[in-house]
Amino acid sequence: MPDQVTLTIDDVKVTVPAGTLVVDAAKAAGIDIPVFCSHPKLDPLGACRMCLVEFVGSRGSRLDTACTVRVAEGMAVRTNTEQVKAVREANLGFILINHPLDCPICDKGGECPLQDQTMAYGPGVSQFVEPKRHKNKRYPISDLILLDQERCILCWRCIRYLEEWEDKPQLGLFERGGETMIDTFPGQPVDAKTSGSIIDICPVGALTNRVARFRYRPWELKKTPSVCNHCPVGCNLRLDERVHALRRIVARENMAVNDEWICDKGRFVHQFVDHPERLKKPLVRDAQRGTLREATWDEALDRVVEKLGALVEANGPNTVGGIASPRVSNEAAYLFQKFFRALVGTNNVDFAGGSAVRAWPTGLSAITDIARSDLIVLVGFDPSEAAPLLAVHIKRVVLRKGAKLLIIHPRRIELAKYPGAYLPVLPGNEAALLGELAAAVQASKGVRGQEARGKQAARNPQSPGPGPQYPDVVALLAAAKSPLFIYGPDVARGERGRATVAALLNLATALGQGDKLAYIGAGANEQGVRDMGLLPDTLPGYAPVSDAAVRERLGKLWGLQPPAEAGQTCARMIGGGVKGLFVMGDNLAALPAVAEALRKLDFLVVQDLFLTETAQLADVVLPACSFAEADGTYTNLERRVQRGPQGIRAVGESKADWAILTALAEKWLAAEGRGDRSGVAPAAAPELPDWKRKKRKAKTGPAAKPWNYPTAQSVLEEIGKAVPFYATMRWEALGEGGLQWSARDLRVGVRDSGLSNTQSPTSNPRPGEFLLVSSPLFWDASLFMQYAADQVRQLIPAPFVALNPADLATAKLAEGSQMTLTSPHGSVILTLKADASVQPGTVWIPATLPGLPAETLGGGRGEPISVVVR
Amino acid sequence: MAEWEPVLLANVHRPNSEKIGTYLAHGGYQALRKALSMSPEAVVAEVKASGLRGRGGAGFPTGVKWGFLPPDAPVKYLAVNTDEGEPGTFKDRLIVERDPHAILEGVIIAAYAIGAHRAFVYIRGEFFLGVKRWIKAIADAYQHGFLGKDILGSGFDLDVSVHRGAGAYICGEETAMLESLEGKRGQPRLKPPYPAQVGLWGRPTIVQNVETLANVPHIILRGAAWYASIGTEQSKGPKIFCVSGHVNRPGNYELPLGTPLREIIEKYAGGVRYGRHIKAVIPGGVSTPMLTARQIDVPMAFETLAAAGSALGTGAVIVMDETTDMVEVARRITDFFVHESCGACVPCRLGGFRMLERLEAIARGRGRPDDLAKLESLARGISGLTFCPLGTGMCEPVLSGLALYRDEFVARLNTAAKR
Repeated sequence: MPDQVTLTIDDVKVTVPAGTLVVDAAKAAGIDIPVFCSHPKLDPLGACRMCLVEFVGSRGSRLDTACTVRVAEGMAVRTNTEQVKAVREANLGFILINHPLDCPICDKGGECPLQDQTMAYGPGVSQFVEPKRHKNKRYPISDLILLDQERCILCWRCIRYLEEWEDKPQLGLFERGGETMIDTFPGQPVDAKTSGSIIDICPVGALTNRVARFRYRPWELKKTPSVCNHCPVGCNLRLDERVHALRRIVARENMAVNDEWICDKGRFVHQFVDHPERLKKPLVRDAQRGTLREATWDEALDRVVEKLGALVEANGPNTVGGIASPRVSNEAAYLFQKFFRALVGTNNVDFAGGSAVRAWPTGLSAITDIARSDLIVLVGFDPSEAAPLLAVHIKRVVLRKGAKLLIIHPRRIELAKYPGAYLPVLPGNEAALLGELAAAVQASKGVRGQEARGKQAARNPQSPGPGPQYPDVVALLAAAKSPLFIYGPDVARGERGRATVAALLNLATALGQGDKLAYIGAGANEQGVRDMGLLPDTLPGYAPVSDAAVRERLGKLWGLQPPAEAGQTCARMIGGGVKGLFVMGDNLAALPAVAEALRKLDFLVVQDLFLTETAQLADVVLPACSFAEADGTYTNLERRVQRGPQGIRAVGESKADWAILTALAEKWLAAEGRGDRSGVAPAAAPELPDWKRKKRKAKTGPAAKPWNYPTAQSVLEEIGKAVPFYATMRWEALGEGGLQWSARDLRVGVRDSGLSNTQSPTSNPRPGEFLLVSSPLFWDASLFMQYAADQVRQLIPAPFVALNPADLATAKLAEGSQMTLTSPHGSVILTLKADASVQPGTVWIPATLPGLPAETLGGGRGEPISVVVR
Repeated sequence: MAEWEPVLLANVHRPNSEKIGTYLAHGGYQALRKALSMSPEAVVAEVKASGLRGRGGAGFPTGVKWGFLPPDAPVKYLAVNTDEGEPGTFKDRLIVERDPHAILEGVIIAAYAIGAHRAFVYIRGEFFLGVKRWIKAIADAYQHGFLGKDILGSGFDLDVSVHRGAGAYICGEETAMLESLEGKRGQPRLKPPYPAQVGLWGRPTIVQNVETLANVPHIILRGAAWYASIGTEQSKGPKIFCVSGHVNRPGNYELPLGTPLREIIEKYAGGVRYGRHIKAVIPGGVSTPMLTARQIDVPMAFETLAAAGSALGTGAVIVMDETTDMVEVARRITDFFVHESCGACVPCRLGGFRMLERLEAIARGRGRPDDLAKLESLARGISGLTFCPLGTGMCEPVLSGLALYRDEFVARLNTAAKR
């Protein structure tokens, strides 16, 4: 078959790849063929009959559907004959027989294909005077989506999306003939995690977004292309604004990232942006009453400069530090660490899940590599809950291309039902298991493998021999030509995490696929904040803080060099390592133990959207903008730097993170009395307190350069100078699709980053005890969920603990009963659930449930936690 | 032509005809022995040479269809269509109930020929006796070594199972039947790919009608040349005609293809009741266009009926005498199709019930002056434009009724106007 086929459509010659559908070929020729059921991302169906066109052949012409017929050499198609026009008119007439003409109150009105096509191809008047059929309106198919069965024209796009992309056939056609309607199965609402995609592809207003419906008219919206801020996939979406409110979020196509789908968090969880409880003014703790009161920006920032400065002066720069959120933009993360490194003079910067996690710095080679892989190894990572779009891509390659999955997880995750292998592993035993697998793979590789194993055995004398335990798994691994190895933060924390990642790297290397190892973090911009050096031991661009050459280079850029010794980790800073702390965008104090620790600080600054538990403890609270209100760039899990431009006006007096940090730095510099050109310095200079004068004397040598960042774009420009592989990342160059930095550009001490195959102890639950599994859950109680719309908030589950039914039976525990769970770190009371996906001997308490029960028990510390259930 | 000695219906009137003993006593499973001694390719060649065409309605050459199977496919299936639902058709039911082994023998030979080791019988749910008879026949065939492993020492394995339909006419359409067999909603699939390439659970599948398969043992036993000598140029072999309607002796009549319609009605079915005259005849089940009294000398064969503007369909001859109300005929048949529309595609789902509404109004004497034009425009927006032939079938009684008996519709409208 030739690769390219030439055909004629309405006398226009067009050449397209063989296998193209006629409807797509017409699009390429600039000819519009109306469709409803046909969708470029869904398999051909041929149900709506809108695209009937004439195929002219030697034996006369015949009508057929352009959406199901594939092009052939020399094919002649006519889309504008009288016959075709008549058929379109008749067909639109049929579709409109029962379609209610409630366009004036329909959410789709104004962006509705049925409206548009009726205008373009429809009959002017209806020939039907009979009453329309009545079916359900406002019919919930899930907590987030309503179905109007009267508006529905039965194109099955929603059915097909759920079947073909989600592999969740949760919608179906019911009844027959004229009574046919789309419905869910009894008692089984749609729960696919990207279910909202069906709203986007619905060609009429039959499926509506319960959070956004009736809040906009499409033509009034200001539409801003942006990226999602919920998980590291970085799905492309569009912010639809009207009258300074974010009315809705819809998906935006980016074939390299999210195709044209987004998950339900990305779509429905956005009310936090214009929530009434958003902080609108800076707050400072009133010296007399001890409570927080509103203040001006000047007062709040002056207080920060004064108090942090005093702590630095009194106890040295290493007694203050900063913890940021991995959601913040690259610009915010960069300026945050620059503030501490260049101005304060400490490397005490980190984020929760930052330095504690052994993260492979280059992320996924590319999201599109998923579609090219034949084996995906998932270690301690559950895409369905943590990054649903990845699960969609993975399911697609499994269903369409026969790829297999090797899943190593303490819980039988949703993807474990697909072909491949699922290896249950107790928390903490991942390294041992991976070590065994690596050894078995090497053993199966013959002589070369023999040597390698000899080396490994020498390094690791207690390593269990190449056991015959997993012949199927070894065969699976050995057969893979283009595997991907993906691990998540749950298995990469602490010392055990080091061993696990080393073992995984060994396994990948043994298969000759060392460059296919990917770490996928939890924060939306986790890749970006790591790139920006928001870590106590690495500088922007991953150079270790000990690298004198890089320090010197940064010193030239910043005016001052960062210190050479590594800073404190997040845990140490919270655990009393510092007296002054700046927390940007993370609600650390949601965990009571952390709140207790933060109370002991001399000075706490919190920069956030809401008066969180952490902000309530703060001495100064700085109101920040959400991702929707500020320009910023975000780097996703495949190192794609993407623009997130401002889509709505900033709420109240809140400011972008980078702008707050810039203003703070200007005041700091002014307080130091140099490097200032903004005119703030003279005002502040006369009343310099003692410590500042002393500091000025103490500090000789180069001075900090002024912070001259009028825009986020100017920050990005400096990032390009600080981080070599961001050199080409200019705002304009990023465009609407973003740019990936090349993993090959990162040579700095990463490949030999001290990972070695260390022996890892295996853990087993003692009798009567269970090992805690705290892997994430999609609908959790994270901060944005708490400030989401009511429809979304009700999806936050009541705190629970899940056990294997067999364990429940053995322990004579009843489902639904309240049990006290105790670990060395704490104790919680939870409702018991039976869940066969939970391995015997373990309890599953998802991360970030209300009240943080898993975290209270010590989950997420990187060590196995034994739990007693009473 | 000499009197035709029934071949397909040779056994049905014998006592205990459904029992395997009766079947064996009258030469049953001899064709299977012969087929198993031949190569599968030789069996396919024989069937191809016989000129056998499918009896389910479309009349596709059976041997040619078998040749479409990809030869290297590891798994192939045979699906037996016993979902006889076309109004006026009752031939398959007779064979299934009275002579199930005749079909089963054809099933085994066909499976052998195409290399299928699994055959699925899809049977209309309402055929309660037929289901029992199929199941019993299959069980007995296993007992006698005609099914299972190593059939008759040939090394050929075949398992057959029965699946009951749930009452949808559309499941008689081969791809809808496959959907239903897979446990899904019965609605047609997009073709191509045809079932012979991508069929049941994605495997190459041959779907055959019961009557078609019943022909196969006779072709094997008596040879393709004998079979090809029966019938007309393009329509070979015997055919069971189901004659119903206003005739004296309605029933199944097995006759060579090409027998004139008049002969079937007058000689075999005993002529029109009460000596009345024929007004119209539906020659091949309700989805085929009507013929008028003037056309009944047409030979009942695929090509001749096509030339007459109709189709052989399932060979279900529905005879209507001069007293028949043609508006009611159109209404009744449309009602059936609208009820059976699967609802998948727009014209059939939405156009059908609008057509029915108008027909009901006309039949009740409440028609509007522009109703006939509206009916025609509706039918033109449906016929030939639907996903599967059901929608087209739906329009035939309306279009041919309006073309042939327009005066009756007009008269009914006029009574409406007077009221």
